[in-house]
Amino acid sequence: MITRVIFALVCCLLAVSFSLVAHTQTPQAARGVIRLKVKYKSSEVTKELPRKRFFLINGSIDQNKSLVEQIKQTPLMSRECYYRNHGASDALIKWLNENDCESVYCRAIEEKYTGGREAVPEFKAAYDQALGELKAPAIARRWLPNYLAPEIRDGFYTAKQQTISNLVKQAETATGKPVMSIMTDRKGTAYLTDIDPGVYTISNLVGSETNKSSILWVCEREVKATDLTIAMKRPFILSNEKDPKVKCEVIERPLPVCGAR
Amino acid sequence: MKTHFVNWSYKYFAPTALCKTRFVGACWLVTVMLSCHFGMSSEAGAQTRRRPGTTRPAPQAQAPRRSTIKYSAFLHSSDKHKSLQCNACHRIPTAWNAKRTFPDVADFPDHDACVRCHRSQFFSGQAMIGTGPAICTVCHVRAAPREDARFAFGRPNNSDQQVKPKDERQFAIEFPHDKHQNAIASTSSVRFVVASFTGPVDDQAPDYNNCSICHQPNKTLAIAPLPISSPDPAMLYPFKSMPHSHDACFDCHWKNLKPTSDDCGGCHKASATFIAVLAPKRISAKFAHAGGKGGHVMECTTCHINITRASTLRGLTPDVPIAACTTCHKDSKKTTYPKAMTIEEEFAQNKKTGECTYCHTAEVGKKRPPPSHETAAQ
Repeated sequence: MITRVIFALVCCLLAVSFSLVAHTQTPQAARGVIRLKVKYKSSEVTKELPRKRFFLINGSIDQNKSLVEQIKQTPLMSRECYYRNHGASDALIKWLNENDCESVYCRAIEEKYTGGREAVPEFKAAYDQALGELKAPAIARRWLPNYLAPEIRDGFYTAKQQTISNLVKQAETATGKPVMSIMTDRKGTAYLTDIDPGVYTISNLVGSETNKSSILWVCEREVKATDLTIAMKRPFILSNEKDPKVKCEVIERPLPVCGAR
Repeated sequence: MKTHFVNWSYKYFAPTALCKTRFVGACWLVTVMLSCHFGMSSEAGAQTRRRPGTTRPAPQAQAPRRSTIKYSAFLHSSDKHKSLQCNACHRIPTAWNAKRTFPDVADFPDHDACVRCHRSQFFSGQAMIGTGPAICTVCHVRAAPREDARFAFGRPNNSDQQVKPKDERQFAIEFPHDKHQNAIASTSSVRFVVASFTGPVDDQAPDYNNCSICHQPNKTLAIAPLPISSPDPAMLYPFKSMPHSHDACFDCHWKNLKPTSDDCGGCHKASATFIAVLAPKRISAKFAHAGGKGGHVMECTTCHINITRASTLRGLTPDVPIAACTTCHKDSKKTTYPKAMTIEEEFAQNKKTGECTYCHTAEVGKKRPPPSHETAAQ
C-alpha cells in the first residue's frame, strides 16, 4: 500500500515538474521592429528630419479614423508666432531659430547672450535676477532658465506637448493599448522595437516645423516578426514626396507669417 | 556642566563612555533627571542648534516614550514620517555656501526636526542607559557629546548598524529620459555630434544640450578584464558618469519648473531599502565611447536606440544592438571605415581560437555567438 502511495506521489510530482518545465520553455511570441527613416524635400534638397518624435498607434488608419481626423484638425501653431504673440524679443526668436529650439533648454546660454552687444533681453533680465539671488555668476548663468517667465522659457514646447498628450490619451483610450514613441536621431532615423506583430498607424501627431513649412505624417505599416538586423536593411521611409509603396497621408502646410515687432 | 543643561542642549549630555565610576554615574543620573524634568516642563527646552530667522514648525505629537523600538534606525517609510511633508525636516537650501558651490539640500535636518517628536528618546533616563541615546546614531557615528562625526548625508543609519558598510537607500530616483530628450532636442548639425562624445571643443561654437549634460566620460571606472597595455587607452575607460548630485537637476528645476527643488518626491520615490549600485558592471563588450581612434562620432541615440523612449529608470538597460555596431564594423563598410575591425574578422578569429576578444572580454568572448550576431554578419 505504502509503495503504491509513494509511486503515485512520485508520478504526480513528475507530471507537475514536466508541465512547469514545458511552461517556462515556451518560446516568447516573436516581436517586430521598425526602422523609421524620415526625410523631407525642401527647395530641391532632400534632408533628414532630426530630433522629432513619432508615435506608434495600434491599428490601421481606418481603424483610427476619428483620431486621424482629430490629428488633422489640430490647428497649426508656429514657434515664431507663439513667441511673437507672447512678446518675445527678436533676439530671443533668432536664438531659438538658430537651432530649431522649441524651448530655451536646447542649448546652453552663453555669456555673450546675457550682456553686451548680442545680449538677449530676456536672458539679461533673468541673469540679473539670478545673480542677485545666487551671488555666483557661473551658477546664475547656468540656472538662468529658472528665472525666465514660463511662456518665454518653454511655453511653446509645453503647449505642443499638451496637444500631443491629449492625442496620445485619446489613442490609448480608443485602442486600449499603450502608444509607443521614439525620437529620430540627427540622421532622421529611429527604431521602434519589441512590437507585437500587427498593423499600426505611425504619426508625429503634431506637424514638425521645417524651414518654411509644417509637415504632418499619418502612415500605416504592417509589422511582422523580424530581427533588428533585417529591419535595418529595410527601413520604413517617411517623406513628403509621394511613394506608392508607402500608405501615408502627408499634410504639408506653409508656416504662417508673423510680422516682426 | 550644569550650566550646559540649563541651556537645554542634548549635545552636552554625559556620554556613557565616561560612566566608569560611581561618582560620574551618579552625576549622570542626576543630570538626566534634571533634564527630563526641564524638558517636560518647557517647550522651549527642545531647541537645539536653531538657526536664527527660521520659523519653527508646529510641535508634533510625541513618539511613545516606553516603546521597545530602539530608535537607532531611521525609516522614511514609518507611518509618522510618511505623514510629514519633506520640508517639515529638510531645509532647502541648507547652508549651501559652506558645503556646495550651489544652493542645495546638502545636510541632515537640524536637531529640532527630530526633537520635535522624539524628545523622550533624546532626554529620558531610559534613553541614557548604555551608550547614550540610540536615536543619535541615526545621523551621528557615536552617541556622545561633542561628537560631530556623522554619516554622509543621504545615508542615515537605517538598519541599526554599528558602522555602515553599504550604501543603503530608501528612495529610488525617477528620471524620464523621453521627456528630457524632448526638451533638449535641437538640430544643431555637426556640433551636436562632437558634444555627444569627447572630441575637441571649439570655443567659437555654442554648447548644445544633449546626453553629455549628465553623462561625461568617467575615468574612475575601468573595465576590469582589459589589460592595461591596451593599444587604445580610451578602451580602459568605457563608461560614462551618472549624475550623483542635485546640481544637474537644479540647472532647470531649481524653481518654477516642476518638479522644483522643494518637491523632493517629484524625483525621489519611496522604496524598500536597497543597496545602491553606483557604478555599472560591464562584463561583455569593450566598447569605449571616447575610443575608436576618433571614429565613434555617432550621436548617442544612434546606438542606444531605446533611450528616447524610456519614461522611467526602472528596467532601463543600455540597449545597444549588434546591428548598431555593424553599421560601421562590417566588411561592406571597409571603404568608409578602412581601419575598423569588422564582425567578419571577429568571427574568423572565433573559428581559429574559439574566442571573440576584439569586442568582448574573455569571459563573454568564449561563449557561442548569439544568432543576432550571425545575422548581423551576413
